[in-house]
Amino acid sequence: MNVLSRISDQSSGSTITAPNRGGIFTWFRLGFVMLAPILVVTTLVAFLPPDGNERAEWAQFIGRFHPLLVHFPIALFMLVPILEIVGQSARFEYLRLSVNFVLAMASLGATTAAILGWCLGRSGGYSGSLITQHMWGGLSVSIICWVCWLLRTQLRELGVSYAIALALGVGLLAWTGYRGGQLSLGRNHLTEHMPNGLRDLLGVEDSSAALASSADPNTFYGARIQPIFNARCINCHGTDKHKGNLRLDGYRALMRGGKDGTVIQTGNIQGSDLFRRITLPVGHDDFMPKGKPPLTADEVKTIELWIGAGASDKIAITAIKDAPSGSAVPTEVKFEEIDYTAVAKLRSAIAPAVAELQKQFPNILDYYSRGAADLRLNASILGSKFGDRDLEAFAPIAEHIIVADFSRTAITDHSATAIAAMKRLRVLRLMDTRVTDATFLHLETLNQLESLDVYGTPITPAVLPAIAKLTKLSHFYAGQTGIAPGKSVPYNLVGKLVF
Amino acid sequence: MSYSEARPETPTDLESKSGLPTEVELAILQARTRRHFLRTLGGGLGTLFLGTLASKLAPFAKAAGAETAALDFSRDARTPLSPLPPQFPAKVRRVIYLHMAGAPSQLELFEHKPDLKRFDGQDCPASFLAGKRFAFISGVPKLLGSQYPFHQAGQSGQWISDRLPYIEKQVDDICFIKSMRTEQFNHAPAQLLVHTGNPRLGYPSFGSWVVYGLGTENQNLPGFIVLLSGGKTPDGGKQLWSSGFLPSVYQGVQCRSHGEPVLYLDNPRGVSRSLRRSMLDTIDEINQQTYAAFGNPETVTRIAQYEMAFRMQLDATDAMDIRKEPDSVHARYGSKPGVASFANNCLVARRLAERGVRFIQLYHWGWDSHGADAKEALNLGFNDRCREVDQPTAALLSELKSHGLLEDTLVVWGGEFGRTPMRENRGGQEMKYVGRDHNPGAFTIWLAGGGIKSGISYGETDDMGYEIVKDPVEIRDFHATMLYLLGFDHHKLNYRFQGLEQKLTSVKPARVVAEILT
Repeated sequence: MNVLSRISDQSSGSTITAPNRGGIFTWFRLGFVMLAPILVVTTLVAFLPPDGNERAEWAQFIGRFHPLLVHFPIALFMLVPILEIVGQSARFEYLRLSVNFVLAMASLGATTAAILGWCLGRSGGYSGSLITQHMWGGLSVSIICWVCWLLRTQLRELGVSYAIALALGVGLLAWTGYRGGQLSLGRNHLTEHMPNGLRDLLGVEDSSAALASSADPNTFYGARIQPIFNARCINCHGTDKHKGNLRLDGYRALMRGGKDGTVIQTGNIQGSDLFRRITLPVGHDDFMPKGKPPLTADEVKTIELWIGAGASDKIAITAIKDAPSGSAVPTEVKFEEIDYTAVAKLRSAIAPAVAELQKQFPNILDYYSRGAADLRLNASILGSKFGDRDLEAFAPIAEHIIVADFSRTAITDHSATAIAAMKRLRVLRLMDTRVTDATFLHLETLNQLESLDVYGTPITPAVLPAIAKLTKLSHFYAGQTGIAPGKSVPYNLVGKLVF
Repeated sequence: MSYSEARPETPTDLESKSGLPTEVELAILQARTRRHFLRTLGGGLGTLFLGTLASKLAPFAKAAGAETAALDFSRDARTPLSPLPPQFPAKVRRVIYLHMAGAPSQLELFEHKPDLKRFDGQDCPASFLAGKRFAFISGVPKLLGSQYPFHQAGQSGQWISDRLPYIEKQVDDICFIKSMRTEQFNHAPAQLLVHTGNPRLGYPSFGSWVVYGLGTENQNLPGFIVLLSGGKTPDGGKQLWSSGFLPSVYQGVQCRSHGEPVLYLDNPRGVSRSLRRSMLDTIDEINQQTYAAFGNPETVTRIAQYEMAFRMQLDATDAMDIRKEPDSVHARYGSKPGVASFANNCLVARRLAERGVRFIQLYHWGWDSHGADAKEALNLGFNDRCREVDQPTAALLSELKSHGLLEDTLVVWGGEFGRTPMRENRGGQEMKYVGRDHNPGAFTIWLAGGGIKSGISYGETDDMGYEIVKDPVEIRDFHATMLYLLGFDHHKLNYRFQGLEQKLTSVKPARVVAEILT
């Protein structure tokens, strides 16, 4: 209340004398003169809103000064509450003398900026909710600015309404400015480079992930084409700006085309306007991306092949054979995060038995990886100290062993049942052991086996039919055995024997 | 207390050590009011608040995408080499790294450049020289075509010269990376970069990182064994297999290829194994006391090393003794027991791989083909080097394959950088022998084994074989790829030292070369 009473004090002229006291009428008239351009721009915004089409060059030229000019009225208007508040102090009372002038300049600036903004929006190919909100926000700010000025100079008893108008103006200005920032720098321009810690703290979601294309990454379009558009085109042809009424942020939008019709002619490379524009010489009026470096040869080639192949969003990533090997979109390896609680749960059934065996046979038994509950048994390092009797101890966990190496151990055919119990084995090594054909007649349970190593064992070709039944087997190491290279083998084993 | 510590000692201070506050301290304490308390409280609460934030704000300091739970590599101090499972399911369990010290010429072995041959003897274009630094080339050198004919080999039809007739037979199991690039053009720093990920001294070697991350299954042999041949230690010296800032137990153990494999491993004459045992027990006891008194983990490392040496007395001698191999195997490798040669080392490497040694590093010296003398001429010494490595390398590959070991072993063959397509002209003069200078801009290495696509070439250089035109692979990418094969995210295999989570790939972003993986 103190502030407001002081303001009315001041306007009553008890302590401060405005230098232009004699010209009140002039000021008043000037105020209404200002109303005319505001009404003009309101009409323009209301009846000729931006519609995504590009228009007159001169309007665009003028419009480009909008971002330059707009900061003056912002600074001037933000200065007003500072002047008013600091002016409360007797030492700085003189500051309040300048408020009227500052407000007048702010109104003038805001209105000019609004007109330029309309020029840019209407002619620069903008449309969408962001630009609409920004325009109406800007317009409201210039109106509020004008209202504040009018209240401040003329209506001496309306202190509260002045304060409210001022507060409203500041709030609206911040909101409009934020919208403007989103227009020029992107929707998430404030949070885009926010450190992760702060992001977690404020609960801001990482919208860059959400921005990524929703196209199926297993299709050629999703894996190769959309990423090019995302990197090179969607700044102007995306959700926030759709210059030429064209959007390239999704397959359907792309195929719908822009104001000049479709940009992709299925299967017709030369007839596709998009292809024509990206292959024009830099500096040509129709060249795209305008004002940016041209697409790389690989990118152009990829798009060309895709249009030629029918420009579908369904064709598989591997369907187009001679596509450039995607140096634009290199294959990335994903490192999965290990969920240790889930792993502990998976392991819980066998963990005590594993721990016991690890104590009994140090260093030969361990989990396949930190995230796995499968086991790997490498008895080979114990050599002849490991025999049939020892293998019996592993019976309780047999089904969890997926790799077993018994090379050079003392195991014999007596272990056949113990090995057969390891039903999920993928790799079995029996190199330089004494196992014979008898063992392999029992191993038909190992239907997951991919690699079998019997190098240096006394087995004979008699085992081949039994081994041929292991459908997943891809490598059968049979060197230095009774099986000789070059002899005919069952059809299933052709090309799988390694000597 | 800090207040009183800051002043010179006075009798009152001495009094304070009896536990009673001095007059000065009492006065200070009494002068403290509730206002002081509240003021400090504000700051204190603020600090507490920031403290709770610290954990959330910590990612500030880290590279994006490289954080979250660290992997636990801790082990019982008495068994620092005990095996740990890899982070992810791994295609590769062990590595045999054949380093060709001195940098073999890719243009005489794997890089078929007919255009370079056409321009043989012509002046090198100025664009090749602008802004480049060479070890020896000065003025305008002449282009030098390959000294040897090339042909396509194997079912995969890869180009190879006639210098490697044995390796040629294994070409369908090999993946060439022809677009390797390094940032060092002198041997020692370039070798350090290839082996430790850093051109400066003091960083752990690749083998040390692997043994740190995975341990080793066979506790009777070192997890990381180094074998040298070619007559000289590589220019990078023993730093190439050092453990850097990792505990010293992870360093490479250099073994000799003839005589005792490890010096002073055998018991001195007149000392029996049981006497040795009781001596070690006594030493252990003393070391345990030292550890209890000082708590230095290196003391425990030392105890572990004594124990390993004792166990190794039997196993290492056996593993290194290639006399136990039949003559047919020796014929295959071209190895002769009792001499120091690359062939013997390859055979030992296979024996070590079978025995569960995690990382086997071979160095063969003498590939620095500048052409300054006959030994380093492309048409003389280079031929000898090719002959020395060709047959044993091929024998190693084929034996690993037939024994079923190649499917989970990674074999790497390569030097520390490449060689120029220009003939070296030391001092601006034409030299007596033909040679090439160092080229860090492009070189070839090859890989074979688990998880690697076989019979392919990755990356391309220009028509002169001078610079990379497609798919460059930095040393750190190469490291990240190998660690990936071993089951690690290269960010996660790290060790905190000097305030940083140090890793093999260092701080620049590294890429796993997924295109060469199966």
